[in-house]
Amino acid sequence: MVTTQPSKWVQFLQSKLTQPGEWLLVQYWKHRAPVTTPTWVWKTAPGDNLQQCMNLVMPLADKTDVGRARAAKAVAANVDEIFTGLNNVGTVHFARFDLIGGNLCMFSVYDGDLENYLRDFISVFGSVFDALMELVEAPPPTPCGLHPEAFIDWIIAHDAFQITGDVPSLFPDEGNIANLPRDVVLLLEQHPNVQLGRYSGYPGKSAAQIRLATGIDW
Amino acid sequence: MTVEPVPDLADIQGNILRGYKKDHVRHLVLTITDPQAARRWLLDATSGETAGTPQVTTEKSYSEKPPTCLNVGLTHAGLETLGVAAKHLRTFPHEFVDGMASRALKLGDTGPSDPRHWKAEWQDPSKVHVVVSVHADSPGQREKAGKEVLDAGDGAAFDKTAQLDGDAFPGGQVHFGYRDNIAQPHFAGIRDPIDRPDRQPLVEVGAVLLGHQTPVEDVRWEVPQPKRLGFNGSFNAFRVLEQQVGEFEDFLSQSAALIKDNGMANMVLPPDVEKTWDPPTSRFEAMRELVAAKILGRWRTGVPLALSPYSPTPVCLGKLNDFDYANDTDGLCCPVGSHIRRCNPRSSRIVQRNTNHSRRIVRRGMPYGPPHDPDHPDDGKERGLLGVFICASLIAQFEAIQYDWMNLGLQDPRITGTNDAVVGNNEPEFSSFTMPVGSSSIELRGFSRFVHTVGGAYLFLPSIRALKYLGSLHP
Ligand code: HEM
Repeated sequence: MVTTQPSKWVQFLQSKLTQPGEWLLVQYWKHRAPVTTPTWVWKTAPGDNLQQCMNLVMPLADKTDVGRARAAKAVAANVDEIFTGLNNVGTVHFARFDLIGGNLCMFSVYDGDLENYLRDFISVFGSVFDALMELVEAPPPTPCGLHPEAFIDWIIAHDAFQITGDVPSLFPDEGNIANLPRDVVLLLEQHPNVQLGRYSGYPGKSAAQIRLATGIDW
Repeated sequence: MTVEPVPDLADIQGNILRGYKKDHVRHLVLTITDPQAARRWLLDATSGETAGTPQVTTEKSYSEKPPTCLNVGLTHAGLETLGVAAKHLRTFPHEFVDGMASRALKLGDTGPSDPRHWKAEWQDPSKVHVVVSVHADSPGQREKAGKEVLDAGDGAAFDKTAQLDGDAFPGGQVHFGYRDNIAQPHFAGIRDPIDRPDRQPLVEVGAVLLGHQTPVEDVRWEVPQPKRLGFNGSFNAFRVLEQQVGEFEDFLSQSAALIKDNGMANMVLPPDVEKTWDPPTSRFEAMRELVAAKILGRWRTGVPLALSPYSPTPVCLGKLNDFDYANDTDGLCCPVGSHIRRCNPRSSRIVQRNTNHSRRIVRRGMPYGPPHDPDHPDDGKERGLLGVFICASLIAQFEAIQYDWMNLGLQDPRITGTNDAVVGNNEPEFSSFTMPVGSSSIELRGFSRFVHTVGGAYLFLPSIRALKYLGSLHP
């Protein structure tokens, strides 16, 4: 593949760019050719329907140590209910809660479609999530059982954007590889949290299939 | 289950809670050409004046059965064209806003079912605004009522992009030869004379009507705003499903031959049992019928395998739906991967433990095209099902069935990774269907997809009050 070197002028300008300058450049790119991200299309390829990741990053309303302690307490108070609930959802491989920076995070690996997963979530332990929503920034309306769509939209908005294959695979129509960094910058500009790749030790198997094969009741 | 007051039946479009039981349907796929005239028509069609414009049928019981019944379904583009404000349009669920074609990957509409191959009338979703469905006792009445709709606003209101006619076959059969329309949800508080006992919990009306308690405890789907537009409304996944009957019949013959040639016939069907069938048949034909039954869960006569694993002969019609799978955990009678067990696992043990009864949908499909003639298998005629799948949440019910259960088999680890053999998006390289027998099983492989999606749209079925509201908009 032939890649063109930027001209001397562009190289000079690039060397002079400061952070505000870069910000302006990104805004200009965005204006010229916005990157659109049709989530369903990008997140799930047809054969890609088992072992999906959900990387929920929920900014805490109170990011101080006291606020973070409150979040830890809320998780601890409900953890049994959550884990029993996840068992009933039935499609979950792993799930864990983390405090990262000022965010309460829930990372999980599940089978099937995200929206179905979240709906099962609501029916199984909606009340627990209602309690957690009291601690986060700009929460969705609660109780989530009465506002399921708004809750799901909120979760999707706080789920890290996923690049499941190689970065270039995201831009199948991109003829010029030299433009890739620009598109990646624009993508990151839209999505502060991004999952860059994942590995599975047993690809193509559902949680229930693993349980069945290992003699654990599914 | 919380018992809620029965909704105002005069406010709900007919065919949602109870079927019309009419043999002929015409779906008029329309583009609104004059929004003012279209709004006028909506007002006329809900005015209660039976003399002029045909009236949108309501769920209210009637003393005299009307010869024709009418339903109105609107796409997102249709609501927009009628003048619904952007802030209200935004309150509709996003799968409805995006439309059926944009959900192709999720629905398994790939390969031959890819929206790029859909028929001309569905190619530009921005032009599909309204689907008016006329149900009639005779083709003549259907013709008359259909024409009256098209005459709306002196013919200026709508441009007809397509007219899709469906006609019931004798005995309620559909293409592929199965008897259909047996199992439907029984709604709490709604009396339907054709309800058959089914050992399932009564279904909350919120499974199909917005604003009511859903089958999932403490969950209600959000009502699109303003409330008088969304309340008592419903959604219809309208799908034109072309059926490859010749290929399907060939698959039955090949599978029957495979079972016989491998000496497995007596494992699946006791010797000579086919001689007790009414009418008696050959061993080979019996094998074909058995394969047809195993992949669907019912014999083509409608008799459920769960009640009658070795004979398609109906014993008692009232019992056609009175069964469950709880005692058939391994699917020895009705395979776990059969169409009806996938689409409604009843009380079987499934992976998603809280989901058994939460995805119930109403089906009001009707076959289109001439019956398949085995003597002229390649007649070049199109045939299939004008599929009407009604629910309150397209994502949580229709799409969830189609994606999780029908095309992935997530509900049971023993079928995960396989698709519904009758209607799933199968490819010969990967397709497989397992028929458990005793402690082993027979696996059928290498079949292609027998049902191709050739069009469709997500429609909103507004309440009568909502149709009046739409008719009186002043954008
Ligand atoms: C051309 C395509 C299809 C054909 C020929 C077909 C055929 C049938 C037949 C013969 C039955 C058994 C009759 C009965 O129980 O009432 C049935 C049941 C059913 N089908 Fe389909 N079907 C098709 C597509 C679909 C689709 C796309 C869905 C949903 C996404 C679906 C959902 C159901 C459900 C929920 C039942 C009732 C199961 C029960 O409650 O026991 N079908 N279908």
